[in-house]
Amino acid sequence: MRFLLRRLGFFVLTLWAALTLNFFVPRFMPGDPVAALTARTRGRVSRDALEQMLTSFGYKPDQNLFVQYVEYLGNMFTGDWGRSIGGQLGEPVTGLIGQALPWTLGLVGITTVLAFALGTMIGTVAGWRRGGWLDSLLPPVFVVTSALPVFWVALMLIFAFSMNAGSVLPGTFNYDNSIVPGFSPGFVGSVLQHAVLPAATLLITLIGGWILTMRNNMITTLAEDYVRMGRAKGLSPRRVMYGYAARNAVLPNLTGFAMSLGFVVSGAVLIEFVFSYNGVGYLFYNSVQNVDYPLMQALFMLFTVAVLAALLIVDIATVWLDPRARSADAGGR
Amino acid sequence: MRPALRRGTRILAIALALLLGGAACSDTERRPDAKESGSGRTDSGPKKKGGSVTIANTAGQTWTCNFNPFNPAVFNTSIGFVYEPLVFVNVLGNAAEKPMLAKSYRWNADKTEIVFTVRDGVKWSDGKPLTAEDVAYTFDIMKRVPATDLYSLWTSAGLQSATAAGDKVTLRFKQAAQTYFYFFANLQPIVPKHIWSTGELASRPDTTSVKDPVGTGPFKVDPCGPNNIQYTANTDYWQPGKPYLEKVQYPAYLDNAPANLDLASGKAQWGSQYIPGIEKFYLDKSADHHTWSPPVQNVAIYPNLDPSHADTSRLEVRQAISYAIDRAKVAEIAVGGQQPPANQSGIVTPTFEKYYDAAAVTKAGFGKPDPDRAKKLVEGLGHSASDPLKLTIITVTGYTDWDAALKVVKQNLAPVGIELTVQNLAQQAYLDKLYNGDYDLAYYSQPSGGPTPYYELRAMLHSANTAPLGKPAVSNHSRYRNPAVDKLLNDYATADEAGQVDIVKQVGQVMIDDVPVIPVTESVDWFQYNTEDIGGWPTEDNPYAQPSAYTFPDTGQVLANLYWKPAQ
Repeated sequence: MRFLLRRLGFFVLTLWAALTLNFFVPRFMPGDPVAALTARTRGRVSRDALEQMLTSFGYKPDQNLFVQYVEYLGNMFTGDWGRSIGGQLGEPVTGLIGQALPWTLGLVGITTVLAFALGTMIGTVAGWRRGGWLDSLLPPVFVVTSALPVFWVALMLIFAFSMNAGSVLPGTFNYDNSIVPGFSPGFVGSVLQHAVLPAATLLITLIGGWILTMRNNMITTLAEDYVRMGRAKGLSPRRVMYGYAARNAVLPNLTGFAMSLGFVVSGAVLIEFVFSYNGVGYLFYNSVQNVDYPLMQALFMLFTVAVLAALLIVDIATVWLDPRARSADAGGR
Repeated sequence: MRPALRRGTRILAIALALLLGGAACSDTERRPDAKESGSGRTDSGPKKKGGSVTIANTAGQTWTCNFNPFNPAVFNTSIGFVYEPLVFVNVLGNAAEKPMLAKSYRWNADKTEIVFTVRDGVKWSDGKPLTAEDVAYTFDIMKRVPATDLYSLWTSAGLQSATAAGDKVTLRFKQAAQTYFYFFANLQPIVPKHIWSTGELASRPDTTSVKDPVGTGPFKVDPCGPNNIQYTANTDYWQPGKPYLEKVQYPAYLDNAPANLDLASGKAQWGSQYIPGIEKFYLDKSADHHTWSPPVQNVAIYPNLDPSHADTSRLEVRQAISYAIDRAKVAEIAVGGQQPPANQSGIVTPTFEKYYDAAAVTKAGFGKPDPDRAKKLVEGLGHSASDPLKLTIITVTGYTDWDAALKVVKQNLAPVGIELTVQNLAQQAYLDKLYNGDYDLAYYSQPSGGPTPYYELRAMLHSANTAPLGKPAVSNHSRYRNPAVDKLLNDYATADEAGQVDIVKQVGQVMIDDVPVIPVTESVDWFQYNTEDIGGWPTEDNPYAQPSAYTFPDTGQVLANLYWKPAQ
């Protein structure tokens, strides 16, 4: 119980610190929303008029920063996130995020899970048959691919599959614009088809880390006495591999996996940008471009909360799963 | 472990079943692609209806599906398509006017009062007729809610009242308001009173989102989604027979690259952004691919004229830079000739040819690059190629055409004894420095002009548009102050046409004498068009409107004139 409270206290403190930074850092960046809007309206509208316009959407250039800060903290918790003062001027921030979030969760979320599952699987087999053909082929290859810059992989895939070779796979948008969105085979198919390249890019760059750590964990675990015991008992190799070795080897990776799930919400800015995939990452890029304080704030807040919540859950789960973590806590008492 | 796995499989099975079940009960709805067969005649006169055009103009974000014409973020997708102005002023046609919602207008002698006669027979897209009340009410909104008065009509322009009587609307101004005609008659669209006088639109016309716009324009929104806006023809449009096209597709391109790809493949037909290497990438792909990007403003070096900037506030330095630059070469190398070279008088040619005094430019020696003269000027200041004058110019990271242009400029300046350092800044940081005058030289283009060179010159040179260093200037970023120029520009408002041409020529002479800004190339209205299935585009021979899809209300003119060749 005490542990839980301490974790929660830490959570609240970190959240507050992050929210405070979220508020002040963007405001210390060069540029202001009026200048950004002036540039976007091609100067047809005067600065004063634009400032007035932005003010009616909740931009307060002259108000005391501290008063704004207090108000902002309150608004973050009540869900009153305001309206965009950037490119999508006047749209409620909740609506914008609500529209982008499913795409990011779908693309990045599924890919993250898939990368973890596949990576762990390959790592298990590679570690089990150390020195085998799989072990000498896949880990080195994926270590190389995970070191490649993500945007470069994306551009290469676009170049290979959507520009040349008769554009087999679409390299832009999240679905075919000529289709009216709806729950229809064509639409779902189009969504899946458009997700192939960005998902492949993410997979190629994410999977290497999981393979490598899982393989190394497997090798360490295979040297444990209980594995030898299992073998000595004459259990089937499959049983030893999955039930004895992999089951223990995967534990350290679960923490990392949970954390990467927390990062899913922040999307993959580069991927979404290169593929014109309008998820949260792209929205975030846009909000920074246009000095859109309300949108930036809300997105920062979501990212922070998602990562912190993931961490909190991991902490609690670890204590629950692993008695050693609990006793370490008890030892301090 | 194992039961969990089985549970997982079951969930998967249910999900799959749901997916298939859902799929079975609805068909994929495709937007109709009205491709019909027929001969491809391209004569003028009334056209048969049909077909659609797809616009490839980078939006940089998904659509909000808001069509409130007072919201500057959605001007491009609402004005011209759905909403229309009183009078269309064609920047490319010597400010030729086409009456739109006003069938005529009359100024009083001292240009302080204008009476519009509202066209009869115009219907809003909900069937109600357009009245003078609607026009007066539109201007009243701007008075009541200053945030909607985006062209400062009730403040700077001195608008006093907007009254409707019969089919006439009278606007009264405090002073001569002729120079604001472009804004209140052409840029400002008219909205229907019966919609905008009720509910939220009446109380908050500035911030209320308009999802289902009611306008008089050639197209209606049907439907709008985050990735694409589809417009369908307004069958009750007041211009008989128009629009000829049945549909317009406006996808939200997040980046130039996919937009340009769709143009090259013919999937989109109306392009409005810079295409690098346009010959190979676009023009060579089909004989039906064309480009015509008319110049409208200058891309220029803005020197900081504040005395605290010792070098750039010296006339000799600015003259030397202007003499040294080989503008034709900059245009050729930097943007592949897609932006023509500018001239020191700041008059954009050929668009504003009648205001251009070629003789004056030649007389001052600016007719062609003159590195020797520049060298002498720099030597007079005690510098040479071996001991160069060091200057820094700011530009925006990612504006590759500007980068390329500045490379050429740098090469031009080196032999005359000026060492130019190009400083690339993120857009926000760049604008911050530019507006506040925190730079020596800045590469910049006024974002918009007007139907005559007066608008850009006023923005660049009038002291009302500048500010002390450290305060954001409106548009006169070089901090130029000259009472004689202010007076000339102020007199323009009351001058007759010949007088106006004369004033612009005089200001052009000041540009040559004082070199307050150094024009390098001319910025253009980016435009690529595909003539395979669609005719009626604005062309160099028939420049009836600015052709880019981001120039409003000109888009309305283009949209009403495009037609589908296979249907003819």
